[in-house]
Amino acid sequence: MIITVTLNPAFDHILFLPELHLGKFNRVQSTIRMPGGKGVNVACSLAVLGEETVATGFLGGHGCSMFERTLRKIGVTTNFIYVDQEIRTDFFLIEEKKNRQSLVVEKGSSIELRYLNSFKSNFERLLSSAELVEIGGSLPKGVAPNFVKELVSLANKKKVKVVLNLPEKLLLECLSGTDLFIVYPDLRENKRMFGEDIYKPSARLNIAKELLKRGSEIVILKYGNLNYIVATKEEMWEGEIELPKSSVLIGVRDAMLAGFIHNYLAKNNVGEALKYALGSGRSAAKNIRNYPASKKEVEEFLLMAKVRKVS
Amino acid sequence: MIKVRDFMTRDLTAVTEDAPLIEAAEILSLRELSGMPVVNKQNEVVGYISEKDIITSIFPEQVKIENPDVIGFGNLSQVVKKLNQVGEANVKDYMSKHASCVKEDTPAPDVAAIMLNKDLKRVPVIRNKRLVGIVDRSSLSRILLEEGSF
Repeated sequence: MIITVTLNPAFDHILFLPELHLGKFNRVQSTIRMPGGKGVNVACSLAVLGEETVATGFLGGHGCSMFERTLRKIGVTTNFIYVDQEIRTDFFLIEEKKNRQSLVVEKGSSIELRYLNSFKSNFERLLSSAELVEIGGSLPKGVAPNFVKELVSLANKKKVKVVLNLPEKLLLECLSGTDLFIVYPDLRENKRMFGEDIYKPSARLNIAKELLKRGSEIVILKYGNLNYIVATKEEMWEGEIELPKSSVLIGVRDAMLAGFIHNYLAKNNVGEALKYALGSGRSAAKNIRNYPASKKEVEEFLLMAKVRKVS
Repeated sequence: MIKVRDFMTRDLTAVTEDAPLIEAAEILSLRELSGMPVVNKQNEVVGYISEKDIITSIFPEQVKIENPDVIGFGNLSQVVKKLNQVGEANVKDYMSKHASCVKEDTPAPDVAAIMLNKDLKRVPVIRNKRLVGIVDRSSLSRILLEEGSF
């Protein structure tokens, strides 16, 4: 069983409109509303790929039951801690005429200490039957970065593999003194890590080496829409898959991660897992959801993926 | 034949046996549930705590409540106030220790019979004693309505 942790989940609200006119009245053409947040996206993708997955984190407010029901319909088992706060909403504006996508995110509610304690004891219980835990996304107010490190330590104690899918600052907090299976930095905001530009090949190499040195078994770095490198201490792979220009990219990087986890756990082969991961991401892009349409479609798309061993 | 895994709700909402009763009351209230499984540290089901059990705990033993269901959790703050007066009561002090559980491969008619015979609203689903889901009356009736019969 795989656990995904989303401490700051959100409703993803995708608004499609020809063009956004700032400061004026805008009417959207269509809307999609779905559960989101890094861990939630990974959970949905894993469930579609056939993994038994439990999604956990904090939820609150009137939308909770719809949030959980939607996840369960996809095949995810839910185990969220309810708080007396409202769940946040993230807005994705898709301007079709301009071929432009913008993201506006809310910060999220404040979590009281008693809920953090409930979460921790619930998390420990889940670990007793888990093979892997993926922790993804940002932190809500009231949760210190050290809390994530505590979760990693609890998983390490129970010998459960840990995957971190976090922004740079938060990720760095969790690197020292922990055993990490996969590190997948979320560099969407500034495209840099350790001060190095992710778009420069030599910088990618340096970032990967540094993350491996700091205790990660596998490092995954994204530097385009669906362009990746995957590095271990023994080998490094590069991969890409073509995306149609108008693809909606919400959750694509998380679907990619889910594909990698699913395939690597079964086959233990980095190159093959990267190919599968790219197929998963490509399927999610086509699906206009934060998860692939089906396992069959992932297996069709992976044939389009180009991967090569770099070293 | 339809089995429990085909229609159970894949949700693991539960409380531990050592949790204070107030925590159980809050979970039930926030989630608008009538009851939930009680688990140990390995997520194994060890009991069941209902709204009824908590309401009963508020009143002294001498007071017999004929139908605790009618009190409910309409006003959580009042319930919490009363629970504070009860003191440091834990879930294990008031839970039902013999929770009826079913397995994922239990046929739907069998779980329906258990729920009807024992007048249960929700039944935990377990695998190797561990909680993996829940069957409630609404999911059972949905199956009945969709399938016509088992």
